Amino acid sequence: MTGMRVTTRSSTTATMRGLETNLSRVQRLQNQLSSGRQVERPSDDPAATVSSMKLRSQKRADEQYLRNIDDARGRLSLADDALTSMSTQIRRAQDLLTSSRDAALSDDSRAAISSELVEIRKSVIDTYNARWIDRPVFGGTINGQNAVDPTTGDYLGDNAPIVARISRDVTMRIDVEGTDAAADVLPDLLERAADDVSNDNQVSIADDQRDLSDVLSRVLRSLGDVGARASQLETSEQNVDSERLDFVSRISANEDVDLPYAIMNLQTSQIAYQASLGAAAKVMQTSLMDFLR
Amino acid sequence: MSGFSTMNTAISGLLASQRALDVVGQNVVNANTPGYSRQSVRVSSVGAAPSSTLHSGNAQAVVGGVQIDTVERIRDTFLENTRVAAGASLEAVKAQTSALKGAEQLLSEPGDGGLQSVMDDFFNAWHDLAQKPTDEGAGAVVIQRAKTVVSQMAFVSNGIEERWETSLSELQSTVSELNQAASDLAKVNQRIRESHVVGRPVNELLDQRDTLVRKLGELAGGKPSVQSEDGMVSVNVNGLALVSGVRAEQFTLTGGTTLAQATTNPPTVTFGSAQVSVASGKAAGLLAALRTDLPEVSRQLDGVAVALRDVVNMVHATGSTTSAVPGGLFFDGTGASNLTVVPAVTGQLAVAQTAGAIDGNNALAIADLAIDANAEAILGPGSTGPSGLWRNLAANVGTQVQGLERGLEVQETVLSTADVAVESDAGVNLDEEMSSLLLFQRSYQASARVISTVDSVLETLINLGR
Repeated sequence: MTGMRVTTRSSTTATMRGLETNLSRVQRLQNQLSSGRQVERPSDDPAATVSSMKLRSQKRADEQYLRNIDDARGRLSLADDALTSMSTQIRRAQDLLTSSRDAALSDDSRAAISSELVEIRKSVIDTYNARWIDRPVFGGTINGQNAVDPTTGDYLGDNAPIVARISRDVTMRIDVEGTDAAADVLPDLLERAADDVSNDNQVSIADDQRDLSDVLSRVLRSLGDVGARASQLETSEQNVDSERLDFVSRISANEDVDLPYAIMNLQTSQIAYQASLGAAAKVMQTSLMDFLR
Repeated sequence: MSGFSTMNTAISGLLASQRALDVVGQNVVNANTPGYSRQSVRVSSVGAAPSSTLHSGNAQAVVGGVQIDTVERIRDTFLENTRVAAGASLEAVKAQTSALKGAEQLLSEPGDGGLQSVMDDFFNAWHDLAQKPTDEGAGAVVIQRAKTVVSQMAFVSNGIEERWETSLSELQSTVSELNQAASDLAKVNQRIRESHVVGRPVNELLDQRDTLVRKLGELAGGKPSVQSEDGMVSVNVNGLALVSGVRAEQFTLTGGTTLAQATTNPPTVTFGSAQVSVASGKAAGLLAALRTDLPEVSRQLDGVAVALRDVVNMVHATGSTTSAVPGGLFFDGTGASNLTVVPAVTGQLAVAQTAGAIDGNNALAIADLAIDANAEAILGPGSTGPSGLWRNLAANVGTQVQGLERGLEVQETVLSTADVAVESDAGVNLDEEMSSLLLFQRSYQASARVISTVDSVLETLINLGR
């Protein structure tokens, strides 16, 4: 610019340009600070926008996986309760059969034991028909609400799995296979046992006792399996949740303003703006006219 | 030497100083007038008349006074043309940026209000349905979220269409402004020529002329060509003469009037029957947005809609409803503006993979489409899922706007530099004018002193005879 003529309009133009540049810098930083975000539009940083969109999407997926885990836990704990109550009832049936082995038992007592076994059968069928939002937990994917027919005691389920996604890479079966929990045999077995007790058929009762302890071990195995899956859910929940938190912090690192840095910048550009205002005021107010009489 | 001729010399000095003071006054009052070019008086000395009087025999008597040759208008053509080109480039980038920035705002990304989050919510709803395939509530949520996706897409699509139409009407008014300025310039050219012929001062008309040339540059990148002897200037837009001397042509805007027609029948500025390739100025920026940028965003958005429709429909069709009916269409339509959700009730959602079973596995398969790799596997090799396409769109628009904004900053600097250069050449420096004022005041006083001195000399001479 040396040797250039300086005129009123040229210096005004140059000064205004400088003021505008400084002011717009101040304003951009003010916007960032008041919104707390440095990436508000894709053009602020296209690469950060894309990774932010991806991270947000993954975070939302993780939130859904956590909800799936919550649902799965509800369903499995229902199955857990059902299987626990099943095992208690099987043990009671075992006790009843043991006491029915006593030859001195009166017919009345026998009839009482038999009718209690019938009651246990009904209650066991009820337990097998445990429902999670209208769906039988032990029924697989059948189009109906009962895993076991309440009157005949026949198993209606198809053993097909109900599956939920509990993390990006893992799906889990969230129901219990009816045959694993002996839903196909226990109602019949209890019915037979009730008949055997009322007929005092000691040979059959011995068979029933053996079958019952088989069933009990199946139920207990199933219970163990449910417990193992519940603990896998816990692990998965922790993993997904920590991944989600990681996404949250990465989104924030991507989009949010680095406060100390932005405040420092704002201070600096404010000082620059004030300096340019001061300089403009000083330079533009003087003229030859001030020095002429 | 004649005392009378000295008197005349002094009078010519008085007149010249007065005229110079007039010009200084004109400069001072127009110091802040946009487009004003400073003027300066060019004077030259006049030799003595060959024989001013009968008695002038003295060879040393060469003094003849001062004369005003011309009042010069100071404006450098090269600097001014640079300024015209800078204004044209800036206006082009400005118009293009503002159209695309409008589209960018519609995306609402990155954030929780954009299409990405709405699509995520839609896929997540299928997860809930997968676990509760018979739950009316979960099904209703799926349908509702699908409708939200559809309306969000329509919102963006309509918004882009509105931006397109706004840009078109802006181009329309740019073209009529251009034609108006062109015919104004032709009129000014004519007045300049007329004034030139009769020898009237034309400096102020030349300022008007240059202001109009700048405007033609800003509107359509018009380039001034060499001005003729009589002060008229011609302006070309990409080789076509918009104004030549006293003749101004008219440009017209033709082509499609909706975004849908933009690719087959793009808006075009024509000159007679020829298409004008406007390379700069506001019209060029608007044409770029109308012909390329906005149609491209719209095309990509349709791509997102079609990918979403196809991928969901493909998986939906492989399943069956809770009443063992094979899954039908889920999304229908041809693009972002007209996508619709087909199922109206939960019973029409194909949740199961095995007909007759209520397994929720098909719902899970649709939910898993949120994972890009799954969507891409369904759509076939080399394809991109809807979320991926949407992210590409956001990245493309973002990159383009970022580039344009950087260009804008550069052009603003270029323009302000050109402005400063023009103003420092053609602008008024008040200090300079103040000193000229003093100078001419003094020279007026001195000329007056010459007159009074000659007067007293003559008085002495006259008194001699008493």
